[in-house]
Parts: sequence; structure tokens; C-alpha cells
Amino acid sequence: MATAAGTTTKWSRRRSLTWRSVGRGSVPYLLVAPVVAVMGAILGYPIYSLVRISLERYGLFELIQHKGVYIGVKNFGSVLHDSVFWHTLLRTIVFAAANVGLTMVIGTLIALLLVKVSGWVRLLVTAGLVLVWSMPPVVAVQVWNWMTNSENGVLNYILTELHLGNYFQHNWYTTPFSQLTMVTTLIVWGAIPFVTITVYAALSQVPRELIEAAEIDGARSWRVFLDVTVPVITPVLLILTSLSILWDFGVFTQPYLLIGQPHITTGNYLMGIYLFEQGYVSANFGRGAAISILMLVIVAAMSVVYVRRMIRIGDVT
Amino acid sequence: MRQRVVVAAALAVALGVVAATAGASTGRTQANKLTVWLQVDAQTGWPDVVAAANQQFQQQNPGWTVDVQYQNWGDHLQKFNATIAGNNTPDVIEMGNTEMTAYMATGAFADLTSAKSQFPNSGNWLAGLAKSAMYGGKLYGVPYYAGSRVVTYRSDLFKKAGITKSPTSLAQFVADVQKVGTMEKGVKGFVPMYLPGTDWYSALDFVFDYGGSIAATHAHKWVGTLDSPSSVAGLTAFKNLFDAVSSKSAATLDEANPAPYTVYSQGLTAAILGPAWFSCCTGTKYKSVTAQFVMPSHTAGKPIPGFLGGSDLAVPAQSGNKSQAEQWIADFTSSQNEQTLQAKGNIPNATNLLANTVNARAAARSWFVPQAKHWVDVENGNILRTMLAQILTGKLSVKQAASTASANIAYTLNQS
Repeated sequence: MATAAGTTTKWSRRRSLTWRSVGRGSVPYLLVAPVVAVMGAILGYPIYSLVRISLERYGLFELIQHKGVYIGVKNFGSVLHDSVFWHTLLRTIVFAAANVGLTMVIGTLIALLLVKVSGWVRLLVTAGLVLVWSMPPVVAVQVWNWMTNSENGVLNYILTELHLGNYFQHNWYTTPFSQLTMVTTLIVWGAIPFVTITVYAALSQVPRELIEAAEIDGARSWRVFLDVTVPVITPVLLILTSLSILWDFGVFTQPYLLIGQPHITTGNYLMGIYLFEQGYVSANFGRGAAISILMLVIVAAMSVVYVRRMIRIGDVT
Repeated sequence: MRQRVVVAAALAVALGVVAATAGASTGRTQANKLTVWLQVDAQTGWPDVVAAANQQFQQQNPGWTVDVQYQNWGDHLQKFNATIAGNNTPDVIEMGNTEMTAYMATGAFADLTSAKSQFPNSGNWLAGLAKSAMYGGKLYGVPYYAGSRVVTYRSDLFKKAGITKSPTSLAQFVADVQKVGTMEKGVKGFVPMYLPGTDWYSALDFVFDYGGSIAATHAHKWVGTLDSPSSVAGLTAFKNLFDAVSSKSAATLDEANPAPYTVYSQGLTAAILGPAWFSCCTGTKYKSVTAQFVMPSHTAGKPIPGFLGGSDLAVPAQSGNKSQAEQWIADFTSSQNEQTLQAKGNIPNATNLLANTVNARAAARSWFVPQAKHWVDVENGNILRTMLAQILTGKLSVKQAASTASANIAYTLNQS
């Protein structure tokens, strides 16, 4: 009897697998298939290539021969035993933390200001932000270079004229700290518009009646902000912070161009520059590939927070 | 429906034909096209020489076109590496003489030894430049031109300060420049001599002037020699000159940003040290009062040894048009073209073409970087610039900074 029942269940299960049901069940997979195929081609092959090269000795000689020499994980070993890598990693983490922190705080403050100001001021500020956003990083670097030039920079001129000290022929790029500080001002300036506009959009979603209710209950504006506004905009703040961390960790264009190749040294490397110098400039592609895989792992670990938050938001809606 | 199918089919056939012919025509052009990579200096300084060479080449090779693509010093090697990876290298490439060794050693260039006699003046090539194109006894490049470094100065200010003769010793030079500086004290932002601190081409002139050097081989290994007593004496002399005549803010600046001639053209300095072609860009206001002399040595009566910068022309090994590439190089480096280059402030590639110019006189004493496969990494790693910034800002003593740089150079050059 038990056997018969078992057979029946088995049979009915088998029966449910008709061609029609298989076809219906596979529709979602078929719909996703082209995307998977394209992603596989665009991302899969390069990643496979990257991993292969990272396990090879691949310098100028091998590039000309079009053939690397397999050396196992030696490239990874040499990078992990290189004190420059660890110093650069630490410097990049501090740099990214400072940049993300400043971007988020200033961006959010401007967004809060936008809520309070009159319509035309908001329009003016938003227009200004969009202009900043639309400026390509390479152009922004040129503008910064021009403004902070020690021989005839407008920043030095204005500071001196305002009697804020003697900045005549003051060089803003003398130490790694001052160089990276200038890069920070440029990056934060360029990143604020995205944060401000997104946070402003989130702020407009805070129900007015909740704020009014809290105010009627006697809550002060700071409490209203902490208990009513912040919980509503937290998902947006988290996503913005995660994205900013990813961007600022791998930043290349601004530091490379603003500091300038003649002044790039191991003392002011950021991860993106370290990778470029080791891989491309020194034509040590195997080592470069190993560094980029290590960076990929670090960035993937950092984006776990972002992905988890995305999934949780997806579950709620 | 049927009509639509017919229209679609017709369109497909038309597209196919277009694609096929486009492919064929590109293929044909590719076969008769010579791709040449030159640095932008040729585009701004001597486009007429390039045009003359192309014209001559096309007369010799009817149906061929020459595609000259101009590159920047900063990234041309990375671009070249990318073309090697993609099997799409140019047929001729201009290389800086300090960049040649790494590529010759790894087999990136075609061997031109057997074709040497077909290049004009090949028996009289400048020794320094010819050496940079040789590796393992074989020829991999053709000298293109060289440039020495001279002082470009404001003759009106020197005259006003009562200086009538070019200085013949370093001490005399410093005294003269300081005299001009004292006279122009009232001009805001004026420095007697604008010297970008990390310009290692200028700084190492002093190292070689005092008998020092960068690195030497000892038992098949490179040894850094910047910390030797004579090198340290040279670096100290450079620091003393910098402290005496230049602006403190320039201690960490390089020769590209701002270019010394830009500071000069703004009327903010009386003298700059650099390639002879700096005279190109001294500004219309000072054009008539600009003159040049050879930077004097600390030993009276001698010129200071200058970096003999220069370029070679090489044929990448992957080029499918080697004989045409050789012919174009021969046309480009003809006596007439080299003389035109000389007229524009460069040193021609052969001794029989040398005229008595300030540039040629300065080249009488010259120095060159160590011929090591990894020298290019020393340049890219900015080891020398870091050392100079440390010395001029007072962060480290000359001896300390030179020892660190020396160790770094030895480590970099001895990599496998």
C-alpha cells in the first residue's frame, strides 16, 4: 500500500512535467537568458582573462610574444609582501572615509537647506548643482589646477587680498597630505550634487502629517529630524554611502591628473593609481592583474552591505 | 506581409553589399598605408619636415599613403603596449633615447643592422644618440635629433645690471643673476632665475659637473652612485644655486607645470635653464630681448655637462611594412630635413651637419642615463624627483636623500 501510494505520488509528479508546463516554467529563464549571455560575454571573459594573467609572469617580453608564463600565485605573494601595498590600502581607506564622510554630511546639509528655502532659491541652487554634476572630471581638474597654481592661482590671490595670510606663491601641493587634501576638495565638490539631489528627493517623501503630529506633541526640530525624518531617509542615505565608498575607493582620474604623473610617488599612491603604475606604467601586467583582483575582492566585501540593503528594500516593497 | 518580407530581404542584401565593399576598401587602404607615430614636438615645431618626407615617400611609392599620428610623451608607451597586445602597432615609432633599451631588450623592434647604409649620414651619427639605438651589437633605431640644454635669458635686464659678457663660471653666473635679482626687487613675484626644483635633467647636470654619476655596473649588478662624495657635491651645488636664485615655492614643482618659459613670458624671471627650443615661447613682449648662452661649469671656461636628450625612430617588429618603414625613415632623416631641424633649435643627428650654434656648443659636454632595461621604471617611479624635493624643502639632508634614492635606483635597475 505504502509502495502504491509512493508510486502514485511519483507518477503524478512526473505527470505534471508535461512539455507545456516545462515550457511555461522556463519562460522566465528564457527571458533572462539574453541578459545572462551578454553579461557573461562582457564580464565573464575579461574576468577569466584577468585571473589567468594574474597567475602568469606577463611583462613586456611576454606581451610581445603574446604568451605569459604560468607562475602560480607568485604575483599575489609579491603584492601581499610589498609594504607599499599595505600602506596604500590604509591610505586609501582613510582617504575614502574622509571623502565619503564629507560628501555625505555636506550633501545632506545642502539637501536640508533646499527644503527650507524659497522656490526660486531652490531652483538656483539645483541648477548650480546640476552644472557641477555635468562637468567632466578632466575639465574640473584643469579648473582646480588653474585656481590653485602657485605662480598665478586665483585662490592664492583671493586669500591674500582678503588678508587671510600671505598666500603669495604658496604651493598647495608640497606634501602627500596637502596633495590628497586638494584631491579631496575636488572629489567632494564633484560628488555633492548627486547626494544632495537624491537626499532632497528622499526628504520630499517624508509625510508632512508625521512631522506636524510630532510638532503638535511638542517635539523640537532636532528631535523631529532624528525620529521622523532620519528613519524615512535612512535607506537612501545607506545606499548613497555604500555607492560613495565604492567610487571613492577606486578613484583614479582626479588624483592622477591633479597631482600629476611627475609627482606620483609611493608616498601618495591610492589603490587605483598603485594598480595603474604597477600594471601599465611599469608594464608588469601579471602583477597589475593580481592587484586588481585583490581590489575586486575588497570592493566586493564592501558592497555586501549595499547588496543586502538593496535586497531588504526589495523585500519590503 | 509578403511585400514586407521582400523589402526586408532587399535591405538585408543592400546592407550586406555595403558591408562587404566597406571591408574590401578598408583592407585595400590598410595594405598601402604606412602608420607613423611621432611626438607632438614635430606637429608644433616642424610640420614642414614631416610633409616633405611624406611627399618624397609617396613619389617613391605611388599609391601609398602615410598616416602620421602625433603622440604625447606622457602616455605614448602605454598606448604602444596596447597596440602590441592588439597586433596593431604603427610601422614607425619615435622613441625617447632613454626609452629605447627596455624595448630593444625584449624584442619589440625590428633589427635594422643590414639596412644601416641606406640611412643618410649613418657613418657620422652622433655617438651618444647612435649608442641609444644599439643593443647587443645590433641596430634597432635611427637617430632622429638631439637637444642640449642652455640658459635662456633677458638680455635687457642683464645689460641694465651692467653685465655685458656671458658668464664663464658657475660662481660668475650666480653673481650675475643675483645682481639682476637685486635690481628687480620691486617687481612682485620676480625671481632672478626660475628653476623648478624637481627638474632632474637640470639637477643632474651639476652631479656630472662635479664628477658624479647616477649608477654604475659592478660584477654584473647595478650600484647606485648618487651618494658618492662627488655626486653629493654636485647635488649640494644645485641646492646652493636653487637657494640663491630661485623661488622657494618652486622646490616641489616640475618643468611641465608651469613651463619655465611661461613664467619667463610673464616677466617674472630673468633666466631659465632648459632645451634650446625654449626660445620659441618667451612671449612676443620679450622676443627681441631674449638671448641664450651655455650654462657654465664650476670649473671656469668649461660648459656644464648637459643631458643629451634626443629621439630615435624605430620599426616595431610586428609591422608588416618594414621596407617601406625604413624608406620613410631615410626620407625623414635626410640631410636637408636634419638641417631644417637644426635651424629650428635642435641638434641634427650627424656630426657632419653640425653648425656652430649655442646648442651644439652646449653639447660639447653631455651626460646620459644608465643604459639599463629598467631605467624607464626609475623615471616613472619619480625616484629622482622625490630626492630633489626632499633636498630642496630641507626634509632630508643631501646625503640622506641621495642615499635613499641610490638604494631605490639600484633596487629598480636590478629587477629581473
